[in-house]
Amino acid sequence: MRNGLVHKIGVNAALAIASFVSVFPFFWLMVGATNTSAEILRGKTSVGGALSNNFQHLTEQVSLLTLFYNSSKISIIATVLTLIVASLAGYGFEIFKTRWSERVFAALLAMLSIPFAALMIPLFVTMAEVHLINTHAAVILPSIASIFVIFYFRQASKSFPGELRDAARVDGLKEWQIFLHVYVPVMRSTYAAATIIVFMANWNNYLWPLIVLQTNETKTVTLAVASLLTAYTPDYGVVMVATTLATLPTLIIFFALQRQFVQGLLGSVK
Amino acid sequence: MAKATASRRDTMMGWAFTGPALVLLGLFLLYPIGYSLWMSFQVGKGTNLSFGGLANIWRLTQDSVFQHALLNTFTLLVVQVPIMISLAMLLAVALNDSRLWGRSLFRTAIFLPCVTSLVAYSVLFKSMFALDGVVNSFLEFLHVIEQPIPWLADPFWAKILIILAITWRWTGYNMIFFLAALQNIDPSIYEAARIDGIPRWAQFARITLPALKPVVLFTTVTSTIGTLQLFDEVNNITQGGPSDSTLTLSLYIYNLSFKFMPSFGYAATVSYVIVVLVAVLTFVQFVAARERRRT
Amino acid sequence: MRMKSLTRRNVLAAALASASFFAATASYAATTVTVWCWDKNFNGATMKEAGDRYTKAHPDVTINVVDFAKADLEQKLQAQLASGTTDGLPDIVLIEDYGAQKYLQSFTKAFEPLSDTGKIDYKGFADYKVALATLNGKTYSLPFDSGDSALFYRSDYLAQAGYKAEDLNNITWDKLIEIGKAVEAKTGHKLLDIDLNDTGLLRIMMQSAGTWYFTPDGKSAIDSPAFKTVLTQYAKLLQSGIYMPVSGWADYTGGFTSGKVAGTVTGVWIVGTIKANADQSGKWGIAPTPRVGDIKESVNASNLGGSSWYVLSSAKSKDAAVDFLGTIWGKDKDFYQKILIGQGALGTLLAAREGDAYKASDAFFGGAPVWQNFSNWLAKIPGINYGTFTNEADAAVAAQLPGLAKGGSVDDAVKAIDAQLKQQMQ
Repeated sequence: MRNGLVHKIGVNAALAIASFVSVFPFFWLMVGATNTSAEILRGKTSVGGALSNNFQHLTEQVSLLTLFYNSSKISIIATVLTLIVASLAGYGFEIFKTRWSERVFAALLAMLSIPFAALMIPLFVTMAEVHLINTHAAVILPSIASIFVIFYFRQASKSFPGELRDAARVDGLKEWQIFLHVYVPVMRSTYAAATIIVFMANWNNYLWPLIVLQTNETKTVTLAVASLLTAYTPDYGVVMVATTLATLPTLIIFFALQRQFVQGLLGSVK
Repeated sequence: MAKATASRRDTMMGWAFTGPALVLLGLFLLYPIGYSLWMSFQVGKGTNLSFGGLANIWRLTQDSVFQHALLNTFTLLVVQVPIMISLAMLLAVALNDSRLWGRSLFRTAIFLPCVTSLVAYSVLFKSMFALDGVVNSFLEFLHVIEQPIPWLADPFWAKILIILAITWRWTGYNMIFFLAALQNIDPSIYEAARIDGIPRWAQFARITLPALKPVVLFTTVTSTIGTLQLFDEVNNITQGGPSDSTLTLSLYIYNLSFKFMPSFGYAATVSYVIVVLVAVLTFVQFVAARERRRT
Repeated sequence: MRMKSLTRRNVLAAALASASFFAATASYAATTVTVWCWDKNFNGATMKEAGDRYTKAHPDVTINVVDFAKADLEQKLQAQLASGTTDGLPDIVLIEDYGAQKYLQSFTKAFEPLSDTGKIDYKGFADYKVALATLNGKTYSLPFDSGDSALFYRSDYLAQAGYKAEDLNNITWDKLIEIGKAVEAKTGHKLLDIDLNDTGLLRIMMQSAGTWYFTPDGKSAIDSPAFKTVLTQYAKLLQSGIYMPVSGWADYTGGFTSGKVAGTVTGVWIVGTIKANADQSGKWGIAPTPRVGDIKESVNASNLGGSSWYVLSSAKSKDAAVDFLGTIWGKDKDFYQKILIGQGALGTLLAAREGDAYKASDAFFGGAPVWQNFSNWLAKIPGINYGTFTNEADAAVAAQLPGLAKGGSVDDAVKAIDAQLKQQMQ
């Protein structure tokens, strides 16, 4: 019993240190949002009184409403479509393995490793041919069939109990019904993790939206924050407010979904 | 006979499930890949291109900056990926204990770094690791060091700084995959093991680790790819310096395409070096995973 | 009978004519000139001001200013030009002078030669700015801001160390090092802050001596005596210890705006950054750029950065864009007074120097006739052809700087830079 207590204290201390190291920069970010640019450069680490001023300067420079609308629209549509398409594919690659599907999958993994910088220019040409430059569709379409997420669902499908599928087949369920009524509910924690990751990737997506979006009306939050920072005289207070705001949506998604990690597999089957 | 039709039905089903993804990838990935492969045989500046055969590959062998970048990328990969994956796994296992106090709080805290935007994180790391920054002051206070460490100005310490930065940002991210996977282990197995008096470390080695194997493979492969394509951190924190000590292959590709006189053909060739490396490393990792399964 | 003459073909032609007529009026009513630039509060603000002035006289034209991060803008422009599609390109784009020839030579025909339009009088601009954007006898840019350099210093710190403004007038770098040591001894502050990933100071030294990384015909000049002398001077500065090492823009500007170091040598566009700290008013001074003592031709004037406006050949509103640049940026002296006061933007239209704003003195800099001084220095800056590989050369030099700072040999550094640069110049 005493050994258990020591273990518990040790684990808690380690987690507390890890948490502190993780949170400290975020704390610094929020404190920065309340200070002026000059105070931030001087390394001030206490809460200041410039928050509303910084916020006002930010809203004078950018239209927050437009930016958040654009980012939310792109991220939500892309996340929903990615989860559907990628989980179907990941399931398909794992459950219905053949020699050929294994080869296709290996090829996909190789493609995942091509740096995006090498693909950007031809992808831009493709989008110009279908007249999608400066549209949100041009940002969403290439992101849906994410090899990364397909790979994740495939690996997660390895833990999907075969007995469940066999039982469902005996009950006369069609393949799509097995997927929809058995696989999806059972893999809830996998879907939750994927939602967070995919949403975050889309929300923070930078390189491709930068190339394909051209006007202030279509820009995303992430693009706007970056252009605030590279001025000859960046206003760091404003940048900190903008960055804090830009971080909140992903954080909210995380808070909302983390419950899914707590309720285990067995809970969802019953 | 019946078996054969069943397997053909399975094959059809497989393509039906993977179909939508494959169609989209065909539209938005195959053409760009073909184009960039063709580009890798072109020489010239900007849009004034001509066929150069293997000239770009010859240029690679002569290019000391490329070799430097390759070595840097490998060093980061070999040191950083194992540290991060083990850390992510250990944190996930610790956080999976349902009797742990405040675990929702810990979980959120450790996940936080990866949502912090790149902009904030780079400004922050630079200020924290400045010569008179918080980190040096703290280490001096603890008497770990006597002279401040030149994190950003010294080639060796700059590499360490980049490793710290990536680990800080991506450990919580990888932890998510482990946490999700741990939900698929039946808690009653641990209960049974505990009653049998099997010690904690043995439970971890014999129950947890095997169950996590697919996710270990997934996070290792994707982190390897991520490190080989490392760009954000080095571009924003150290700009590849000092003395090119943190110049990665991706940063070099970026410079060749967008900063230097545009050599898109040569940049494409360097990109395919990464593809070949990943193909080799992935193959090794898969084989290793398979070998272990057999024994 | 009339009906019969209305063949299908005629109907079609009539329909097309009326459609194009409406289209023409529609586009005339809403000509939009899109401009890409990279700093909302600097070049973006000057462009907005120019747009407001132009649209007052031309209510049918809208000037739409879009700003990106500078590196992002360059990447975006380069990717789109490379793709060969003109979809989504703007009408006017801002390009930094160092990169001008790179763009003009790698994307031939992408930019409009403005000298062909006859709407711009290039004699009215500083010569060196016009030369930068000229290729095969055609000039492509509308010259914008100057990178006229100077020594910006905290006059209160230097006074404490016993130096007056006259002591900083037309000095050499060696003298500056000497002053830097005295300042540190008396005040505890380093004189400068330097980012070892950035080669700005070296570029200032080179241009003050009328030399560059390349020969006028574009070959590497790294093994020339002039470059070696400049690099030796820079190594001396790096080994002198009169500076605080910094990393990145925020750290760099933070060094002198927070009072940690006593000043910096850089381009005139830094004035806005310095003056953003209103509490330091009266505590700053501006002196001419130090010269390289070992090079006879070196003068106390140089340049760092600066940028110009270019019109894309594919521009949908090309005529309006050219007319806009010619009318406001090419002639309007009042406009240049306005952006000098508002944004601290020092244009290169020579006639603008006669305006009131240029003659005014500035209390922030101790009541000195700041802009008059900059104008005088501007006239002395040696003209340089930056060539097309300046970024490659910068990268090759930056790789050697930490070694030089630690006392490494200049000869070895020259050899390494030369080898790397020659490898990259293909």
